[in-house]
Amino acid sequence: MEERKAFLARYETNTHRLGRICTTVTLLLLVGAPFLIGRVIGAQPDMMAVLRGYLAVGLVWTVSSVAEFLIYTPMLGAGGGYLAFITGNLINMKIPCAMNARDIAGTKAGTTENDIVSTLSIATSSLVTIGVLALGVLLMVPLQPLLTSPTLSPAFDNVVPALFGAFGYQYFRKNPRLAAFPLALMTVFFVCVPSLASQTSVLILPAGAITIGLAYRMYRKGQKDQKGKSSV
Amino acid sequence: MLSQLNSPPLYLICGLIILFVAIVCVIFLVRAYRAGKKAGMDPAVLKRAIISSATFSVLPSVGILLGVIALSGSLGTPWPWLRLSVIGALHYETQVAEAAAEQVGIGRLSASTMTPEAFVTIALLMSICIMWGMVLSVLFNKSYLKKIRRRGGDEKKSPEKGGFGDMAITAMFTGLVSVYLGSYIGGFVSGRGRFTFGGDFTPILVCLASAAVMSVFTWLSAKKGLKWLEGFSIAGSMLIGMLTAVLF
Repeated sequence: MEERKAFLARYETNTHRLGRICTTVTLLLLVGAPFLIGRVIGAQPDMMAVLRGYLAVGLVWTVSSVAEFLIYTPMLGAGGGYLAFITGNLINMKIPCAMNARDIAGTKAGTTENDIVSTLSIATSSLVTIGVLALGVLLMVPLQPLLTSPTLSPAFDNVVPALFGAFGYQYFRKNPRLAAFPLALMTVFFVCVPSLASQTSVLILPAGAITIGLAYRMYRKGQKDQKGKSSV
Repeated sequence: MLSQLNSPPLYLICGLIILFVAIVCVIFLVRAYRAGKKAGMDPAVLKRAIISSATFSVLPSVGILLGVIALSGSLGTPWPWLRLSVIGALHYETQVAEAAAEQVGIGRLSASTMTPEAFVTIALLMSICIMWGMVLSVLFNKSYLKKIRRRGGDEKKSPEKGGFGDMAITAMFTGLVSVYLGSYIGGFVSGRGRFTFGGDFTPILVCLASAAVMSVFTWLSAKKGLKWLEGFSIAGSMLIGMLTAVLF
């Protein structure tokens, strides 16, 4: 048992080391790529335009990145967290994918076992995306008319609703009492302020905080009830 | 300009970065699998998690490929291929690229107005705008997770049991799903004017179809002992949900 504990602790420490190195290298490659491409096509970035652009659009995404980091890191754990931020597409793919794998494996958040499952899930998911995209780029000419055809476009316009329909069933069925309030509240928000539809990601943090607050009340109540029963 | 943006050296630069990230993924995958086995986790469960993640990811990946196709008309193929394979998100890349095009003074994102300088400026801006998740990971992932675990009390309890931390993660995800489902209902009820019920009903229909199929999968898996179906349940539900959008 002690040996297992020591192994898992070592695994986690090494994961952080590897994650930091790989993330830093990827970061350098991604920021360096435009300069390298610039050398090939004979131009370099206009740094003033970059600064202007960053102030105009980048700040919003910086705030959003901070929120994403705070929300998703605990869900994904160490290895999964590093990989997910390297490979992107968090809301529409990596998070649901990791949650699904976690449900299948039956692991609990905050444990190294959960980190392992989430890492397996995100690494696999990323490799599939890389493979599909590589194949798609290779077959771009014959695939383009098919994928962009008016017949199939409603299907690809509704990937996210299809995803959250399936997850909605799974999660709401687990604890309908917990899900009812945030769903009702969000529905009222979107019905009364339809323009919010373009800013769904902004509402994730408050909705999550409210649901966590409700869950905490239920958790405390459950603990009190258990104490009451055991004292009787 | 597009021929320059689709030239072999650009494919090589972007392809090598994607290859690097693919290798990183393989390293993490193998390490995690070995660690899971060594920690006494059931290899069948680990395999099921991998298969489920693979089947689940195919359809959203095709959706992401559409993003590459959409951006390739103005930015060439290699750059969107890199961005969407590695760090980017479908909803983000198009928005930032459009906004960046405005900032560099070419108006809208278009191959006809694109210049080499505008392209590299847009590319750098796209990289800088979305790099903060990675920066925060490098700096704070370890300490943040440690803090969260301490707060959740998981370190004091047995690792298998978990504390409120586990419930909090489920609650967070429930909140996330509520936002999206609420937005679909709101879009239908008030999408074309408040309480007109004239908005797009398709996302709701797709959600319902997907949820219905998911309930069948859950029933088959839990009551009929078809555990192996779990690996395909999300992908199968999504596929039927998306087909509903085509049929109606």
